[in-house]
Parts: sequence; structure tokens; C-alpha cells
Amino acid sequence: MDFSYSQEQVMLTDSVARYLEKNYDFDTRKALVASDAPWSADVWGQFAELGLLALPFSEEHGGLGGSISDLVAFTRSFGKHLVVEPYAFAIMLSGAALASSANPKAAEWIERIVSGEAIAAFAYEEGNGTASPGMIATSAGVDTDGFALSGEKRIVIAGGDADVLVVAAKHEASGKLALFLVDANADGLSISPYTTIDGRSAANIRFDDVQIGKDAVLIEDATDTLERIVAQAIIVLSAEALGAMGALLEITADYAMTRKQFGQPIAMFQAIAHRLADMKIAYAKAMSTLTYTTALANSGAATARDIHVLKGQLGKLGREIGESAIQVHGGLGLTDELNVGHYHKRLLAYDAIFGDHDYHLRKLGQR
Amino acid sequence: MNVEFSPELEAFRREVAEFFATAPTPAIREAGRKTTSVFAPFDQCMAWHQILYQKGWAAPHWPKEYGGTGWSVEQRFIFAEEYRKADLPPLLPQSLGMVGPLLIDLGTEEQKAKYLPPILKGEDFWAQGYSEPGSGSDLASLSCRAEADGDDYIINGSKIWTTYAHHANRMFMLVRTSTDGKKQAGITFLLLDRMDYPGMEVRPIYGLDGFPEQCEVFFDNVRVPQSGRVGEENQGWSVAKHLLKHERGGGNAASPTLMRYLERAREAAGQTPSPFGGMLADDPVFQRDFGELEADVISLSHLEKLAISGHEIARDPAFPSMNKTINSELIQRASVMMSRVSGVGGLARQLEALRVGSNVEPQGSEFDLITMPLYLNSRATTIYAGSNEVQRDLIARSLAAGA
Repeated sequence: MDFSYSQEQVMLTDSVARYLEKNYDFDTRKALVASDAPWSADVWGQFAELGLLALPFSEEHGGLGGSISDLVAFTRSFGKHLVVEPYAFAIMLSGAALASSANPKAAEWIERIVSGEAIAAFAYEEGNGTASPGMIATSAGVDTDGFALSGEKRIVIAGGDADVLVVAAKHEASGKLALFLVDANADGLSISPYTTIDGRSAANIRFDDVQIGKDAVLIEDATDTLERIVAQAIIVLSAEALGAMGALLEITADYAMTRKQFGQPIAMFQAIAHRLADMKIAYAKAMSTLTYTTALANSGAATARDIHVLKGQLGKLGREIGESAIQVHGGLGLTDELNVGHYHKRLLAYDAIFGDHDYHLRKLGQR
Repeated sequence: MNVEFSPELEAFRREVAEFFATAPTPAIREAGRKTTSVFAPFDQCMAWHQILYQKGWAAPHWPKEYGGTGWSVEQRFIFAEEYRKADLPPLLPQSLGMVGPLLIDLGTEEQKAKYLPPILKGEDFWAQGYSEPGSGSDLASLSCRAEADGDDYIINGSKIWTTYAHHANRMFMLVRTSTDGKKQAGITFLLLDRMDYPGMEVRPIYGLDGFPEQCEVFFDNVRVPQSGRVGEENQGWSVAKHLLKHERGGGNAASPTLMRYLERAREAAGQTPSPFGGMLADDPVFQRDFGELEADVISLSHLEKLAISGHEIARDPAFPSMNKTINSELIQRASVMMSRVSGVGGLARQLEALRVGSNVEPQGSEFDLITMPLYLNSRATTIYAGSNEVQRDLIARSLAAGA
């Protein structure tokens, strides 16, 4: 057993961390979220430059054939800097779906995605309870020239700014869950964009009888693919969440050591000291669970149960750490000016998507 | 012992319900549905206050001679219950619940005559200037200074977490008038007639929910008359402690609001599919968690009813702290339950759709619109009015003192 990162992984992680330290401080990020831009084109370009966009793709797709532990290594700093660029969604989810398709169009899109010139949004979530692909209700009716899509997708990250959508829908003829490629300007699409509480650009997308050709099918029977790529995205999003948790622990401990009330640092009061201790314990559990699960996934041994443990634990522990961080900061923790609440909102969003901790813990308990 | 309501009380309930069904304007109703904080949207809240005043119902908890209703304990509870059922915006606590009752107890005749009527009518709104950047839980360490100069005080320093100060036209505050002896001994309680004295500046603070609910207030040689003092100079701490009983003591019961939150959560859960099949409201795990929370809310309601009826529990020195701890943590738990029902529906940031009078359609339901701001805002409940860490210290101290 060895849970350390390789020299190459450490080097990549350091260069991503250095880039973000220099170019992605809290104020820069705040201005970005407040602007009309969904994310920074410069940062995305830099991600392409650093090879991050190519990393998870295989060499035949022009990628670098990176492993899940490569991704976990550097995405922790995405959490620390609250990165709003849609890496896990556009690259991991849409990209992985395209990479799993035999459709020749998929390879063309991957080429443009890897170079950073195109964005594919992953239209999967339908609101409450799309924790498993089986809950998807959007349907693809078969007609003479192809398909007609009907339904509604929610919280599609980058959905308002994508060139193309990768849509999960039920193939009415086969009854199987399929993946389709849909042009973002297709007739019958209503895209309603917004910013999420944690600063990402998202959209709710309605499909009113959207006509697509037969060649729009990416994968006809996509349940296994979806389960696999969602599990990988969960691991990467968990790495981001862990980065946010680590930042909160550090910031909060620093604050408690410097903030004085009743003539001493508040960290000296047992009520606060024990809360800090619990935060540290929660972080240790989250870190161990993520690291071990990553190692399992790296050797292809992570089961559905392992993913339930990961998402259930980190969802719950992240909320605990976030809520404690706010409580220790007092009123200050509730202001938009301080980063603490923004970390917490990232952790709330992490918990909510792809099944919250209640869902995953219960799945685990069901066996 | 008796918990039954007489036919007269049921008639009273109908009268209240009828008034709530007809009197509020559409904007006031919308403000009520869109309230995601202890503090409802200001304009509609004050408009509703004025309508209630016309009816004679603005201050049920005030003595009748000052404009209270003279209602029985049961009537007050019925009023509170119907109020929440109708989803109306709660009136702001600072004037009616805090400085008003304080002046009734400790103000001079001149102060009462001058300040109580416009509070009752909803013409004045008072901000509470207590906390400072360096003085939160340790409030008695406050350092905003007031120096006597002829008939005036000259104030220098700042206040923070001054809720709705940007809407207020008056302010009550604690200032330091002496640095001799114990820190509590040099504090004075002041009433400020205006918020626009030369040298006074109010700066809103944006919260995690995106709204400017809190403020900072800066004082740069602000000259105010000494006639605004309540109690003696350097005796302000005991005045503040007296007021705190009104603030924490549950003059306004929290359980009707909590019950309403739970009703809304249950209603939404009835329309939300569970990932385990059926609707969330029919899911046994959800039901068990919901029941646990509901039982705690019902226990709080029982405690509040006992307290309001004069039961000895309300005279326990730790009662205000226990009451504050219980209701603040229940507000948080209820908001977590509501967020759980909303799930990803709560992730859209929707400041514009939440504004009263907005014609922006919400993403998702009106329930989804309020759950996240309510959750974020309610993180403050265990911090404000004395953090729960401080409350637990006080409760423990009451045990050590043999109470």
C-alpha cells in the first residue's frame, strides 16, 4: 500500500497551485463571479496550456491518458481557490461521455474541447432525486428522421454557454437510457441561465420536442457508462470539496487564535477549542476517505458502495466543517466579503448534486 | 390545568383570521411569503405595521395603557398562530419588542411621550447599536466612546451588526462613558433621535444570502443631547441586561413560525419525488427525521405556552438563555429540513426573483426560491443576541448557582 502522490503528480499539482495562487485570489474570483462572464476564458486557456483539459483523455483522442489520482492531486486546489470554471462538468462528465462514444462526431468535439475552443455541457440532473440514472424522465421519442427530445434538465453547469449539450434521455423504443449530442442552438430548446450559490454558471434547460437526427446518438445503452463517469466526477468533485474543507480548517483555526474576547484568544475557550478539534477530526476522516477511494478507483476497484461512502461522508463532513467555520467566525462568517461563507456554499452545492449525503448513506445502509 | 379554548376564543380566532384574509395588500402578502430571515422586507413590513396599528393590534404584548391590546395569554397565542398561518411578514423586533418595552419599564415620562406613540404607529424604526468590531460575545468590552460636553455627548467609534440601520430613523446604543473600574461599570445607554447627525455614517454589509441586512455605523465626533440617556450615566449595563430579557425571553413566540416552516416543508415534500420511489413525504426515513424535528418544535411550543401563562419556568434565571438556545437551533434545523426538500432546486442564486414586486420568474417553485437564503440567513441565529456558546455558559452557571 502506498498512498503518496508520484513525483509527476506533485509537479503538476504544484504548478496548478502556483498558477492559482498568482491568478485566482479571492478578490479576482469575486470580480469574475460578479461579471457577465460565466468564467474566465484566460484561466480556461491556461488550463489548456497546462495540459489539464487533455489530461483525462486517452492518447488516441489527443489526450494524456491521465489517471483519476492525477486529477484528484491537482483539483484539491480548485476547491481551495473556489474555481468556477466547469472542469469536472465539461471535461470529466461531457468529455468522458464523448470519449465513450463510437460516434465519429464525438471525436471531433473532443479535439475542440481538448484545445479549449469548445465547451460541452452535461445535461443530466432533472431536479430532486436524479441521484441515480434510473430516475431520468427526459424522453427521446423515435420519429422518421431521428428523435424528438422532451423534458427538463436542471442545474446544467455551463448550460447557458456551451457549444453543444450531452443529454441523458430515455430512448422510447428500447426503454434504455441513452446519451445524445444536441446543438446548443437547436429549435425547441429553452435555456434559462443563472449563477449558482457557489459562483458557477448554470442553466435550466427545457426540451420541447427538440428534433435531432439519428446520428445524434452518442451511446444507445448508456447506463453503465453514466454510472462510471458520474462516479469519476464525484471523486474529482470530492477532491475540490476536500480542498475547500482544508482551507476552512486553516482559516478558522487562524482566526480563533487571533480573535480575542474576554481578554484571550477565543481558541482558548473550551467550547471553541472542541469545535475546532471536531473540525480537524472531520477533515482527517474526509481526507482519508477520499485518498483511499482514489487509490481504489486508480486500480479500477472502486465499487458503488465505495462511492456511496465517499459522497455520503464528504457531503456530511463538509457541511459540518462549513457550519462550524461560520459559527466560530461569528457575524463575520456571515458576510459576503469574507471567503468563509463562500467555501461553505461550495460545500453545500457539492452535497446537493449527484445525490446528497442522506441519499448516499441510505444506499450504503441498504446493502 | 386546562388547555381548552372557549367558544369566545374560537370566535376571536375567526375574527383574526378574517382580518388577515382581507387587510394585507398583495405586496404585504408577497413580502410574507418571501421572508427568509427574522427580519422581513422593510417597506412592506412597515406598511403592514401601520395597518395593524389602525386595527389596534400592533403591540399585543404592550400594556393596554400604552396601546397594547389587553388580550389574554390565549388570545395572544391565537393571534400568533393565525399570523403565521397567513404567511404575513413578522413585525420588526427592535422597536416594538426591544426599545419600546424598555422605555415602558425604565424611560422617563418625556421619553415615553416622545418615543412610544411613533413606535406604536409604525412611523419610527429603531436600530440597535450594541456590537462592535472588537466586542461581540464580550459585549461589555465595548469601546465606542461618549464624552460629556455641556448638555451633550460627543460620540466616537463604531458599531457593527446593526440590523437595518440603513432603514432606521432612530437608534438606541451602548457607549463607553468611563474606563475606570470594571468594564461593565463604564457603559451608558443612549437614545439617538436621528441617524443623520453630522459625522454619522451607515454602511450596509452584504450577507451570504446576498442581501444588505446588517450594517456598520461610524461615529466621528457626533454630538447628541444627554436627554437621550436611559438610566444614569455608567449604569447602561443594567439597562441593557433588562432589555436583553425582552430580546431573548420570547415575548414573541418562535414556535408558530417554526410550525409554518415545517408545514411548508411537508407540503413541498408531498410534491417532490424521492430517489427511493414515491414522494419524499411518504418516505419512512424522511418521515422519521421530520418527526424528530417536529417533536422538538412542539416541545418548544409547549415551553412557550407555559412561559407566557406565567409558569415558574419563566422565572428560572436561565430561561432566556434556554429559550434562545432552543429556538435558534430549531430555526437552523428547520431550514436544513427545507433545504433538504429543495435539494438542487436551492442552488440557483436568485436575488432579483426574491425581491418583492419583481416580475422575474423564479427558477423552480416559490419554495425553492426561499430555502437557500433562509438556510444561509439562519446560520446567524446561533450567533446573534449572544452566541449559543455564551448562552450555554450562562445555563451552566445557573446550575452551579443552584437554580
